[in-house]
Amino acid sequence: MAALASSSSSLLFSPPSLSSSPHPPRLSLFLSLPHSSPSLSFSLSISSSSPSFLVKPHSTPHSASSFSINAATAAEKKKVLIVNTNSGGHAIIGFYFAKELLASGHSVTVLTIGEEGSDKMKKPPFTRFSEIVSGGGKTVWGDPGGVGKVVGGEAFDVVLDNNGKDLDAVRPVADWAKSTGVKQFLFISSAGIYKPTDEPPHVEGDAVKADAGHVGVEKYISEIFDNWTSFRPQYMIGSGNNKDCEEWFFDRIVRDRPVPIPGSGMQLTNISHVRDLSSMLTQAVENPTAASGNIFNCVSDRAVTLDGMARLCAKAAGREVTIMHYDPKTVGVDARKAFPFRNMHFYAEPRAAKEILGWKGTTNLPEDLKERFEEYVKIGRDKKPMEFPIDDKILESIKVPVAV
Amino acid sequence: MAKLVAVQPQHHPPSSLSLLPSSFSDFNGARLRACIQYKRKVRQPKGALQVTASSNKKILIMGGTRFIGVFLSRLLVKEGHQVTLFTRGKAPITQQLPGESEKDYADFSSKILHLKGDRKDFDFVKSSLAAEDFDVVYDINGREADEVGPILDALPKLEQYIYCSSAGVYLKSDYMPHCETDAVDPKSRHKGKLETENLLASSGVNWTSLRPVYIYGPLNYNPVEEWFFHRLKAGRPIPIPNSGMQITQLGHVKDLATAFFQVLGKEKASKQVFNISGEKYVTFNGLAKACAKAAGFPEPEIIHYNPKEFDFGKKKAFPFRDQHYFASVDKAKSVLGWKPEFDLVEGLADSYNLDFGRGTFRKEADFTTDDMILGKSLVLQT
Repeated sequence: MAALASSSSSLLFSPPSLSSSPHPPRLSLFLSLPHSSPSLSFSLSISSSSPSFLVKPHSTPHSASSFSINAATAAEKKKVLIVNTNSGGHAIIGFYFAKELLASGHSVTVLTIGEEGSDKMKKPPFTRFSEIVSGGGKTVWGDPGGVGKVVGGEAFDVVLDNNGKDLDAVRPVADWAKSTGVKQFLFISSAGIYKPTDEPPHVEGDAVKADAGHVGVEKYISEIFDNWTSFRPQYMIGSGNNKDCEEWFFDRIVRDRPVPIPGSGMQLTNISHVRDLSSMLTQAVENPTAASGNIFNCVSDRAVTLDGMARLCAKAAGREVTIMHYDPKTVGVDARKAFPFRNMHFYAEPRAAKEILGWKGTTNLPEDLKERFEEYVKIGRDKKPMEFPIDDKILESIKVPVAV
Repeated sequence: MAKLVAVQPQHHPPSSLSLLPSSFSDFNGARLRACIQYKRKVRQPKGALQVTASSNKKILIMGGTRFIGVFLSRLLVKEGHQVTLFTRGKAPITQQLPGESEKDYADFSSKILHLKGDRKDFDFVKSSLAAEDFDVVYDINGREADEVGPILDALPKLEQYIYCSSAGVYLKSDYMPHCETDAVDPKSRHKGKLETENLLASSGVNWTSLRPVYIYGPLNYNPVEEWFFHRLKAGRPIPIPNSGMQITQLGHVKDLATAFFQVLGKEKASKQVFNISGEKYVTFNGLAKACAKAAGFPEPEIIHYNPKEFDFGKKKAFPFRDQHYFASVDKAKSVLGWKPEFDLVEGLADSYNLDFGRGTFRKEADFTTDDMILGKSLVLQT
């Protein structure tokens, strides 16, 4: 077997994105192969028919098309605690992850931040938490500082923090996990921490904004845990979403309103079905050695333009769409309130997960959006009376007549 | 019988500073020798049915004297294969590359063979190839499907037909990157390439097709990086259509040559298509900046314009398609274990240091369309 480098991967604090040496640091995707772990066997194509000159001592390992991760590791059932945010776009991640783990036979507790009785619990996915319970999981509520008490002193193998955006929020959870002997700590970070680049996509190892809260968390957990993994998501669609995504487009399309898109509409973004995030997290739990010490862009393997998203939504709805472009500054609107996605290329690819975990994406926006539209109609949102004050301001500014 | 073509050595004074040291020996040197150490295994007698890469093969390259083939042929000859270039002979059969040692060049020139002919003369193609009985064909310059038939007819025992296709066959899409399984466009400018792939697939031959995106590197005859270098050298602004956020992708010719080399005799490459290009993509704006950085020029002024407001006639105002155009190279990486060695700035520096920076280029600078654009934008400002 060829010599694969065993090295603690320090993907976090990436070298400057431009190198001045003839052999710049590559995406440092080292497989963490602790010498004491004979249980990992990789069927790499090192055979007489495969030129072995491809393997260099310092290079990335063959990402073989066949990964045979030891069965024992995969079959081992874990006790997993998910500390979940009570609102926002990431809330749905914990919901899907919980259900997938339960279906795989793992034991799951979801600790939602805040109070069970709060108004925030009246929105999805929280309204569907009975599905977690009927799947055999536990749902509890509490604060990051009181995790131990809330879980009643129970011990866990794996903890996912899907709540904190900075160290203040995550440290109590991480410290508690460390003190109770949690073996694997997972963190939902964000692809939003990547520094803007002229050379998309964002790949693991690229420079991040040093002052981003998530970066501080990644640094901390890498220091205190032997086995840690950070996941950097972008936007998600999926039933049970707490935050509008495709709905923003459907709202306008079904009412025959133009869709105002800032800039050229050519901006690329990555919109994943949340099941892709859930499967990546589950694979990390079931292959902890491979996942350890890594950062994974937790996204689908395709990007879509903003105009393209509008077109796909229209196609899913079986209707036409009119797209109007505008400049938020000229019009005088807050870009973040006017449109659900960042007004720039925001495009990460899940290369590390594919190479290291053998993960495969299944998001298929054209198909997935059809299903989303069916639900949109089923819940009657297409008939709901709606106002579009910001749209109206934009359209007035660019002088577009809107059918009443 | 090897034909030596006398090549006048071209001396070009090294011009401006460049970012990275590079020489042709980087490509032909240490790394490659290490490759060869691993590969000195079983040598099969000629004629034995053998599809592994380790045997000496009789290889035909259709083309091979201008760009991709120049690098590919060197890899193959160095590996010990017998390589013939089929060309009309319009370009010199061999040329010493900048940075290539006299010894390496002499060694290569003494071994490379030339078959002179016009590949559109199908009868000649068939008869001349049949007479030589090649094991493998690299079709680097094929454009139309009707060019394939005579080759296949001439070589019924052909072990592998390796084709240089193009990512230009993909149907334009909002959902990117282009992957090998994506829809193709039967009406594209590259439909000849698509028809060729389809013909190969239906012919029963063992074929492999590589789809590059934009190729760059020393000796590029398509003014890709050269277009930017001309303007940077002249201290001119770079006119970029629309927002400049369009994303494209450049792949270094040496990485492409390596990919062609690596699919030889590889079972996993059999009847497969692979996108081959750089690992990262780049915006038009970013590319202008990268060219400047690679060549040691200050950051350029970029002027954006609406191409619809101009009539450029037959002239091309910008060397790239005005759309997102990039492809995932994941398949080649995971199936072949290939990976690009050059990142963008590095690769552009390599091209600059070995070509434009030495005073060589293929197309003279032509700023006609630039002046049209700049003229209009000046008028708008006043």
